[in-house]
Amino acid sequence: MSIVRVTKEVVFLYKIILQLLVSGIAMGFVYGLVGIEYTLIWNSTGLLNFSHERIIMLGAYIFAGSFVLQTGLSVLPAIVATIIAIIFFAVFVAYTIFIPLRNMSALCAIMSTVMLGNIINESVRLYYGPEAITVKGFLTGMIRIGTLVVARAYVVIIFVALIILALLLLFMMKTKTGKAMRCVAQNKNASSLMGIDVQKNMMITIAISFSICSIIGLLVIPLYSVKQSMASMISLKGFAAGVIGGFGSLPGAIVGGLFIGIIENIAGMIFPSTFKDVVAFVCLILMLLLRPSGILGKKRIS
Amino acid sequence: MLKVNNISTYYGKVQALHNVSFEIKDEEIVSIIGANGAGKSTLMRSIMGLVQPKEGEIVFKDEEITNLKTNKIVERGIVYVPEGREVFPALSVEDNLEMGAFSKKYSQRILSNKIEEMYDIFPRLKERKKQLAGTLSGGEQQMLAIARGLMSSPELIMFDEPSLGLAPVIVDDMFEVIVSINRQQHIPIVLVEQNAFEALRISSRCYVLENGEVRMHGLSDELMKSPEVKSAYLGG
Ligand SMILES: Nc1ncnc2c1ncn2[C@@H]1O[C@H](COP(=O)(O)OP(=O)(O)OP(=O)(O)O)[C@@H](O)[C@H]1O
Ligand SMILES: [Mg+2]
Repeated sequence: MSIVRVTKEVVFLYKIILQLLVSGIAMGFVYGLVGIEYTLIWNSTGLLNFSHERIIMLGAYIFAGSFVLQTGLSVLPAIVATIIAIIFFAVFVAYTIFIPLRNMSALCAIMSTVMLGNIINESVRLYYGPEAITVKGFLTGMIRIGTLVVARAYVVIIFVALIILALLLLFMMKTKTGKAMRCVAQNKNASSLMGIDVQKNMMITIAISFSICSIIGLLVIPLYSVKQSMASMISLKGFAAGVIGGFGSLPGAIVGGLFIGIIENIAGMIFPSTFKDVVAFVCLILMLLLRPSGILGKKRIS
Repeated sequence: MLKVNNISTYYGKVQALHNVSFEIKDEEIVSIIGANGAGKSTLMRSIMGLVQPKEGEIVFKDEEITNLKTNKIVERGIVYVPEGREVFPALSVEDNLEMGAFSKKYSQRILSNKIEEMYDIFPRLKERKKQLAGTLSGGEQQMLAIARGLMSSPELIMFDEPSLGLAPVIVDDMFEVIVSINRQQHIPIVLVEQNAFEALRISSRCYVLENGEVRMHGLSDELMKSPEVKSAYLGG
């Protein structure tokens, strides 16, 4: 057995691990963004948005079905048009469902967001038809970084996620509306006494959350194509990410997402890849048992 | 300045205020005293639109504000420093102050001047400007709540039990600050207090609430001498 062969194997293994790490980080950011998207609404309105899976999917359908295939827009204008459409939808849903709902019983609120999800799902099926849509050439192909070859989709996901996070951070820490958003999350009574229009602020939060949903939907098109079930796994794992990271914490959602993404990809090396999805949920249950407040979670100052 | 005419406020079916009328004129300090559950905070919350009175009207500077949203009322120039401080726990002291000016379109410069003004009144806050408000002591939180209320240069400010839970030494300071706000900035002040003696001492007029009704009102000096007030609120 020659040394050359051993070295070659080590290098090969090393490359595989790197590739898994890249895909793990990319998926981690997807879960993290999902975690952020529902945490924003939870912090602002106290509602768990169980329709988020459908909103992610709706974003992808509007983009692929309406703007790329029907209207024939090129990719960039189609993305902008999709986000604008989703924002209009968010404003409508905010004032008709989310804001009136938050004063009702938890059960009633949960059922309503679940129903909203079903309405979206059925409407999408009726309007766009049951077949999956593919967008040719959208985020497909491989990229070479040094000696590493990775899917272009993963690189774009990481890049876009970082931009969204940076923008969100800037918005929440530096702008008046962003700061007001943090106030509304902490104390609605005091917020309105500062002169903040709490309902309008919630509406803005919901619009931001839905926009993030639609961007997630676009980013995962190359992974799952545009179909009704496209977001079921990521929305569930994103939810887990939020819990693992520390419920209600935005940085926690990202940490939790990366944690799940990396673990499940590395685990895929050891166990058969069909076990991959189990890993996230085993992590979730372990976390709930061992550290219910999550990685970054602390007792919230009241 | 502010006139409340015969308001009745309900929480569900429970009536918390019965036909309450109340008035404060320019540059006055008016106090409101009454036992726990008398409806003092409910009166404040009704004025601020945090609860909607079912009957009656509220007029501020000759304009009716009865059914306006809270943020609109704040924009008109009324500030309420609520019971229990309600600072934003996860925001720094300085950010809390900044939020106090939310209703105003201050330039960055005026904003920093305004914050410095607050630090002059409460030097303690300056030492802790980067600290999260949730980690301040009760007294410091109360200072922050008052300073935050002053940030928007209100035309009328209402304090709900500012002395609650403070050490006696600090209570004296607090009342002194309130009086000086009134004297120096000419802001009329509504003061809700359990500490009836102090409230009567620094206010020119006083309302006594009982079970959601105005039981008595008049000049503070006179109420101080009234046998009824003496036995019920001043400990004999
Ligand atoms: N959110 C609410 N829901 C139902 N009832 C309420 C609510 N808030 C206050 N009440 C009731 O209304 C009445 C008046 O309460 P309020 O808070 O105005 O009293 P208060 O004079 O401020 O008392 P304290 O000195 O204890 O602060 C009380 O009987 C109280 O139980
Ligand atoms: Mg009270």
